[in-house]
Amino acid sequence: MNAKPYWNPYVAGVLLGLTLLATFLVAGQGLGASALPKRTVAFVAHEVAPTWTEDNPTLGRYVENGANPFKDWLLIEVIGVVLGGFIGAMTAGRFSATVEKGPRISVRTRLLFALGGGVVMGFAAGLARGCTSGQALSGGATLATGSWVFMLMVFAGGYALAYLVRRQWI
Amino acid sequence: MSAIFPLTFASEQLYLLTAVGLGFLFGFALERAGFGNARKLAAQFYLYDMTVFKVMFTAILVAMVGLYTLAGLGLVDLSVLWINPTFMWAQAIGGFLLGAGFIMSGLCPGTSVVSAASGRYDGAVTLAGIFIGTALFSVAVDWFPALERLYESGGEISLLPTALGLPTPTVVLAVVAAAAMAFIGAEQVERIFQSKYGTIELTPRPTPRTPRIKFALAGSLAAVTLVSVAWKAPAPEPVPMPMGVIEPLDLAESIVASDPNVMILDLRPDRSAAGIPGAFAADDSTAGALLTGVAPSVRVVVYDDDGVRRAAPATWPSTLTYRYVRGGLAAWTAEVTTPMEPTGYTLAERERLLRQHEIAAYFSGTAATTTTAAPPPAAMTSGAGGGKKRKGGC
Repeated sequence: MNAKPYWNPYVAGVLLGLTLLATFLVAGQGLGASALPKRTVAFVAHEVAPTWTEDNPTLGRYVENGANPFKDWLLIEVIGVVLGGFIGAMTAGRFSATVEKGPRISVRTRLLFALGGGVVMGFAAGLARGCTSGQALSGGATLATGSWVFMLMVFAGGYALAYLVRRQWI
Repeated sequence: MSAIFPLTFASEQLYLLTAVGLGFLFGFALERAGFGNARKLAAQFYLYDMTVFKVMFTAILVAMVGLYTLAGLGLVDLSVLWINPTFMWAQAIGGFLLGAGFIMSGLCPGTSVVSAASGRYDGAVTLAGIFIGTALFSVAVDWFPALERLYESGGEISLLPTALGLPTPTVVLAVVAAAAMAFIGAEQVERIFQSKYGTIELTPRPTPRTPRIKFALAGSLAAVTLVSVAWKAPAPEPVPMPMGVIEPLDLAESIVASDPNVMILDLRPDRSAAGIPGAFAADDSTAGALLTGVAPSVRVVVYDDDGVRRAAPATWPSTLTYRYVRGGLAAWTAEVTTPMEPTGYTLAERERLLRQHEIAAYFSGTAATTTTAAPPPAAMTSGAGGGKKRKGGC
């Protein structure tokens, strides 16, 4: 059995845009992804070092006044993303325990780059208060100035380094 | 026309349930667009597959045009929508770093979730890296004051139309026009670079069988359990007080409604600054005389500068109920007369924000003076948002 083809990008974009619009109307905010790592880190840190976490410039607001960092719209939305991605991959025949990489690189090197890239992105999403979903996509659609700066810099960062890591992909 | 946003919900649980549904659509659309595949995403940066750009900008256009059209028709109130505040340098540097991490891992945070959910090890490893990076930033921002200054500098709400000094419709149309031209350009660029690198082999892969399905089902089950645990987590218990407590906003609402059964006592030692409108100036001894003969149905509310006063003296009539304003006049000023910034984290916060905006508008037009026998302020005129009370929350 073969995998179904991907959707036309413009069709996928329209569905994504309508989902985002519905999210603005229902939740009063856009979609996000980095809420999951941020709130998990806040939860774990609060268990280990409560005072430090409450005073932390980035984690404090998730646990202030005894709040439960997991009781949050964005966090639960990310759980929906997991389910949607999983069902989407299964129904398209695309679910597969494998590693995506270019032909000229070993699995091990690819996974090391994936880990390194993840660490850099976790740090970056902390600094920028959001990631491609929360800043570029959602903030971009509300025309927030800083989100547009963020989005253009994401593309700039990607193109700036693309040549250096080309062996991974092409 | 009446506003369709913000919506009201019967309960916090129902509100959080919408998160599962909308997140599901988000994840499903990302997967079907090919965003669970790191190679397809990375191809954006080698120009032979511009799907990332096409999907992302189509989505931005649809949501932006929809949002600003509804706002223009008066169907959506943008003032209570959460807008990402602008922290220019943190976002510029963070954006560049995120782009660098994107091309290293081939995924961004949202797509790494989808990639991991579709079984890809590289997606799961990227996601693990994001957790580590998030923890690293949280520690680093605490350790390095320079990083904290970078992180904290800015924070104003800035929208492109204001920043550029152009009317909103002009900016919306300009973004649409620029994106349309960029789509045409992207199609041509793709054709040029596909002849150089070829297309990505998009793996018609065999459909997996049982073990992976079981693994993934177990993962979904764990996620559902996590949600139910989060919902059932106990809310913090209020600390018991000798005198009851009233939220500044609740008091403001009863003043707006000219509730005859509320009597406010101003117990501040220094009343040179303006206080809560309609309050009676008093101290411990004069209050006793003021309160004698007051009907038992009247609820007495006292306040001081910062809500330290939490006990009623024994000389006050025991037939009456007493409450103090949480946080005193400081909280009143911060929460009632100063319009709040939207935070948008929970439904309860958002409903509070709506009430607060109505009330702040009311009190900003009222002379806030303490008198010895102030008449109750005039009732809120109808039509100014209706002043209807929202039920719900937890």
